[in-house]
Amino acid sequence: MEQWTRREDERLLSGKGRYVADISVPGCLDAAFVRSPVAHGALRAVDCTAAREVPGVAGAWSAADLPDLPPVPYTLLAGLATEDAVAGREWPALVKDRVRYPGEALAVVLAADRYRAEDGAAEVTATIDPLPAVVTPAAALDDSVRLFDGLSNTVLRGEAGQPIDPSVWRDAAAVVEARYRQQLLLPSPMECRAVLAVPEGDWLTVWSGHQMPHRLRRELAALLGWSTDRIRVVVPDTGGAFGSKSATFPEFVVVAHLAVRLGRPVCWIEDRRESMFVATRGRGQDQSVRLAADAEGRLLAYELTIDADIGGYPHLGVGLPMQTAWMATGAYTTPHVHATVRSVLTNTMVTYPYRGAGRPEAASAIERTMDLLARRLGIDPIELRRRNFIPPAAFPYATPTGRRYDSGNYAAALDLALETLGYEEWRAEQARRRADPDALPLGIGVSCYVERSGGEPGGLHEFGSLEAHEDGTVTARCGTASTGQGHETVFPALVATVLGIPDAQVRLVEGDTDEQPDGLGSFASRSAQVAGAMLQHAATRLIEEARARAADLWGLPVDEIEWADGTVHPAHDGAAATGLGDLVKSTGPLRVEDRYEAGMAFPFGAHAAVTEVDPDLGTVHVLRLVAVDDCGVVLDPAVVHGQAVGSAVQGIGQALYEGMTFGADGVPNLADGFLDYLLPTSTEIPPIVVKETRTPSPGTPLGAKGAGESGCIGTPAALVNAVADALRIADPDLLQMPLTPDRVWRAARAPKHEEGTR
Amino acid sequence: MKITLTVNGTGHPLDVEPRRLLADVLRDDLGLTGTHLGCEHGICGACTVLMDGRPVRSCLVLAVQCDGGSVRTVEGLAGPDGAPHPLQRAFSAEHALQCGFCTPGFLMAAAAALEADPDLGAEPDAVAEVVGSNICRCTGYEPIRRAITRAAQEQREQAHER
Repeated sequence: MEQWTRREDERLLSGKGRYVADISVPGCLDAAFVRSPVAHGALRAVDCTAAREVPGVAGAWSAADLPDLPPVPYTLLAGLATEDAVAGREWPALVKDRVRYPGEALAVVLAADRYRAEDGAAEVTATIDPLPAVVTPAAALDDSVRLFDGLSNTVLRGEAGQPIDPSVWRDAAAVVEARYRQQLLLPSPMECRAVLAVPEGDWLTVWSGHQMPHRLRRELAALLGWSTDRIRVVVPDTGGAFGSKSATFPEFVVVAHLAVRLGRPVCWIEDRRESMFVATRGRGQDQSVRLAADAEGRLLAYELTIDADIGGYPHLGVGLPMQTAWMATGAYTTPHVHATVRSVLTNTMVTYPYRGAGRPEAASAIERTMDLLARRLGIDPIELRRRNFIPPAAFPYATPTGRRYDSGNYAAALDLALETLGYEEWRAEQARRRADPDALPLGIGVSCYVERSGGEPGGLHEFGSLEAHEDGTVTARCGTASTGQGHETVFPALVATVLGIPDAQVRLVEGDTDEQPDGLGSFASRSAQVAGAMLQHAATRLIEEARARAADLWGLPVDEIEWADGTVHPAHDGAAATGLGDLVKSTGPLRVEDRYEAGMAFPFGAHAAVTEVDPDLGTVHVLRLVAVDDCGVVLDPAVVHGQAVGSAVQGIGQALYEGMTFGADGVPNLADGFLDYLLPTSTEIPPIVVKETRTPSPGTPLGAKGAGESGCIGTPAALVNAVADALRIADPDLLQMPLTPDRVWRAARAPKHEEGTR
Repeated sequence: MKITLTVNGTGHPLDVEPRRLLADVLRDDLGLTGTHLGCEHGICGACTVLMDGRPVRSCLVLAVQCDGGSVRTVEGLAGPDGAPHPLQRAFSAEHALQCGFCTPGFLMAAAAALEADPDLGAEPDAVAEVVGSNICRCTGYEPIRRAITRAAQEQREQAHER
């Protein structure tokens, strides 16, 4: 054990991890889906006859062959979908009559293995009359092309804050405006989606790399018309998720339906090509902003308008852009903030939470605009931020956009970031280069973000239990599910600390709905914050229960029983200690069930970047990146640090590399996979320094806030601001992410903002 | 097609379809599921194994191409006595894995580099080349670089002690 840092490590490093695709079930059929080559079209016919003749094929079905196939469920959780938005807009698990995104499944083939299933899929023919495709909100908004006949493409309108009186803009000393594109991103966990459904009698066991096993069980039960106790969902080792593995996807519906119908195990192991076309996307917003300040740089008003492309169906993410609206205020005391949202259907796969989930879009918009305003006012962007930060004494702070920030010290995070970066030295270097016509321009950018973690009201609780055994060990259970965050290591250590016993005596069981009947899962960076707080609470209750039993056993008042290092003893006789195991032996099974509700938390931080730009090549060279994050009390510093670095790298991906273009037919240009969609490799990674400040959350006794999404939220704007600073561009709209050489080259040739300011 | 693969030192006579990928034969026919498929088009490197000592993307190699050859997978990385390979220990120590899905590919690519170049630990550019060959979405790569360097330096020190 001691040679392994995390409990997960030994199996994952020796090839003994078990991911869904590694599970071998006799007689299991592999699913391959026949996918639409067009983005939008009327489906006239699907013919599976030839596929059924292919050796090894067990069956092939289109929607017409499966009249009982349930549609894809929608989720009201966290307001991700609304009844209004989905009304009249069914999402069939296999296309019935209209293709609404490229790659949408037209048919499924089951066979003895994936090779034969794909042989069969190749024999399925479909007739589709193509329709014009709309892949941006701008193109879809006017309803000249409708995804659902007779219904608007605009499926949700929302707002946060109050409309701003026109006089505020009129009277302000400075008003800046800009438009930003938050491009669609592919979350791209290394393991694509996977599901294995094994029916046995009246029961169904479903294995899936998933963030919310209880939700998956509930939704599968509903679509099968079963009670939830007939379904067991198990999450084995999972190869990353980043928000993208928490729904019941169309393919999952088909697999569960056919497994039950055939009475045979069925699995679907998504391949990368499928994932790139039909796994959920993140971001996808067209934003316009307006920010006003007085002559001293005090913010007066901020307006954010969001047109979000939510994809072909509103079921999973129609309400996600509201996260951006609610977080529009950022880190500042701006008195008037108004954010409006239009969620618009487009002929793309559905938009859904991806690491950051609405908050990167909010942070990026306000932080880029702060730099724009600083340039307009001729104030150092750092100074502008300092003048407007919500001060530590103002917490809890109610924002104009409806959030109640729990705690924060934004200036402290910024100070640490600047000190770590060497801000003044880099400014001096910038000045030197500006005087040297041969030097490449250098820019410095910062981004001060506020995040929301834990979830929305109604989803801020978690379930779990602690069970003490006769050998003195403790089993912890909870409703979360790790997709790489090391829960097996971190949670037992937390419980062991509270109980005062060695870490090795506590074991975690999670990701199995038979072991833990209720649970919410791992999303919104909530595992440490909410499940951690629950386990800490359960541990204190276990201690209380142990003391009560000892009191009974010894005939003493309970307040004369003390707990120390995993033992109970009478207050007057420390030598008569009885261990937890012996207590169980003499008093029977000891198990504490818990349901614990936390408050929303608001992690924050400051990221700072230095970039060097080659105006002739359009390349961006990141020289330094500093990320200071504050996620309150940290359970395992190395684990949190690791997630912060990984998150920052994903933030670099959004800023500089990741994005997709579309053909005139609306099909994304992804034919060459990861050669078309550029994930950061180590070659692109600058020196990254991650530091932390620790401002506990008052929302739980534990004081942890969510960790791991910080880089996706804070890093992109720091990088874009650094490039804008290097190029001194007048028009911020020219720098849209990703900052490809083409975009940077063009921006480098555009008019500069006036000299005399930074 | 009848072929013989020596995998992690054990010979396996196999009858495989010519189209089957080495990765699938390792995983499905031999049950060696430590080799993971991350992209199936040769970019991510999660499926990297050693073929006659050289790293290959097992999603780009047909099993029949390996007929008579030897293959080493992550399951064959530990010593004959089961002692972990220095890379395995270093990856754990440096937090060079989170979800673990890409990890076998990085381990095998690094193992090949380490065996080809005992001085790898003193050559940051060579380590960077190994790390740059695969994709990881969790760690941000720096811990992987540190882990490979650590294992290489440890191996070198042990060689000197002998």
